[in-house]
Amino acid sequence: MSWELFLDPSLFRLAVAMSVPLVLASAGEILMERSGLLNVAIEGMVTLGAAAAFLASFAAGSTGLGLLAAALSGVVVAVVFAHYAVAWRQEQVTVGLTLYVLCLGLSSLLYRVVVGVRLTPPRVETLQPLLLPGVGRLPLVGEVLFSQHALVYLSAAVVAGVHLVLFRTSLGLRLRAAGENPVAADTVGVDVFRLRKAAAAAGGALVGLAGASLPFTLTGTFTEGIAGGRGWIALMLVIFGRWTPAGAAAGALLFAYVEALQFKLAMVSRAVPPQFLQMLPYAFAVAVLVRAYRGARAPEALGKPYHREARA
Amino acid sequence: MTTEAAARGRWQVVWPYAGALAIALVLLAALVAMLGGDASQALAGLVRASLGSGAGLGQTLNKTTPLLLGSLAVILGLRGGVFNIGVDGQIYAGAVAATGAAFLLWTAPKAAVLPVVLLAGLAGGAVWGSLPGVLRARLGVSEIFVTVMLNFVAVFLVEYLSTGPWNDPTAGEAITRAIPPEATLPYLWPRAGAHAGILLALAAAVGVWWLLFRTVFGYELRAAGDNPSAALLGGVPVRRAVGVALVASGGLAGLAGAVEVSGFHYRLILGLSPGYGMMAILIAVLSRRHPVLAVPAAMGFAALLVGTDSLQRSVGLPSSAVFVVQAVVLLVLLAAEGVRRGAP
Repeated sequence: MSWELFLDPSLFRLAVAMSVPLVLASAGEILMERSGLLNVAIEGMVTLGAAAAFLASFAAGSTGLGLLAAALSGVVVAVVFAHYAVAWRQEQVTVGLTLYVLCLGLSSLLYRVVVGVRLTPPRVETLQPLLLPGVGRLPLVGEVLFSQHALVYLSAAVVAGVHLVLFRTSLGLRLRAAGENPVAADTVGVDVFRLRKAAAAAGGALVGLAGASLPFTLTGTFTEGIAGGRGWIALMLVIFGRWTPAGAAAGALLFAYVEALQFKLAMVSRAVPPQFLQMLPYAFAVAVLVRAYRGARAPEALGKPYHREARA
Repeated sequence: MTTEAAARGRWQVVWPYAGALAIALVLLAALVAMLGGDASQALAGLVRASLGSGAGLGQTLNKTTPLLLGSLAVILGLRGGVFNIGVDGQIYAGAVAATGAAFLLWTAPKAAVLPVVLLAGLAGGAVWGSLPGVLRARLGVSEIFVTVMLNFVAVFLVEYLSTGPWNDPTAGEAITRAIPPEATLPYLWPRAGAHAGILLALAAAVGVWWLLFRTVFGYELRAAGDNPSAALLGGVPVRRAVGVALVASGGLAGLAGAVEVSGFHYRLILGLSPGYGMMAILIAVLSRRHPVLAVPAAMGFAALLVGTDSLQRSVGLPSSAVFVVQAVVLLVLLAAEGVRRGAP
């Protein structure tokens, strides 16, 4: 085994592709958390998004419809979550965990109802690489960045879009105000309740799309454990990236690199049992999390229900 | 919450459970009908399979054990204001430690083997809970992420052990060799197949109740969970209490893993926990974080688990359907509570 393995362009290419679910899910979660909603259900929402995408594509034969179904499933779950958290002021982590369990169960139940029991699991079409005109054939950069599938470009656009909305528009300012100081925001006429629900819906769509990227780019199939902790890791990336989409995306690339590396190592190394290599991304996540917590500051009102009549 | 509940009287506490049970049954009937089965026949079969026969009741008691121990683990954390989402990982860690102890102890006196195996499980779970506990207490790192990540690590560890060094070559699956007979838990009710684990779980429920409401540690932990800054001002070592709670929480879950190995499977297998940790969270919330109320809640969930298992055989209901039913029950209860609260 040589050190060149760690710098192989195909490894970076794989890492960029594998970062997609993490980038999309963390961008969605950032939208919600910046408005004050801590949604820990996203591991379940990623799984449900994957199931919705797979099943829509399986039943209708259309990848576009699959993406739409995944986004919709995310919106529905996130809006339900927001209603419990905003209108009913329920404890957000409790509601999130309950919805997480619901989504996991629902995903396999829907799969069983639509697909039935089969000997070989059915496959759907996966996304093909899309060579960007002009830059797609550049050496190295073209291979790693510009000959990826469409969701890679979409996730780059999402990062830019979420960044612009959050930090360059008045809507973003109001949204962040709702997450930092809802009382003050309410006083100057910001509709905190509506804004939080809207942030949840938009974020939920992104988390659902993160789920769609799993069957459409990595596997072509759906299994119960398809999310594999990526939703939880996306939650950590929000802290790692200090609640900014670009920071979280950088973290996503780092994690995806470790994940891709684990695949490559498993192919070349027989000395280490594969299960220990598979532990690597999760152990790495804990190590990085410890560092990320130093000096991290969450939105002031994160996870706290806003009650107009309660005294601060 | 407790004074409020006491004021509402006994029946006011009981009715949400009855309502939740009714919703669960209606939902199950709908699912069975959707899969083309006879709903009323299926529900009758469900009750017979889980509570209406000796063997069914035995199965329900066996499933109650890990669910109760797991929910006690979650309750211990919740009372201190932390979420232990890693019960599944701690169950696996406890199961690994218990299996390892059972394999190593072949020279020990026979009477000593079972206690040591159970204690090893407790210790294994506590070790798994100590990393999130220490990181939370020392560095303020959220226990939610650390416990979840360790779930994955534990599952891969079990996969390695059950397919690698401890594998039973005649089984050919992710299954280890059987543990020696002296490491197995005796039957409580042999004809129903119910092992003595339920006694351990019930004792643990009483123990957690005593710890929370009759000791200084429990008082401090509850103070830390209800209002950390006030507790800190009052001289409560908040971080230490929460850290210790996470370690103890892991220990309870680890014991559940040991009981599953020595009472039910007699070996370590990869699918040891069908999501007990997730159900334990729901049970803890459903029982309003009370260790004694967790007993009927865990038993109800266990009956659902055994009952839907029988529907899996009769109408092909997928095993994960039980998650949907259980989560919907809790969502309905949370919604009812929310509606009563009124406008934001």
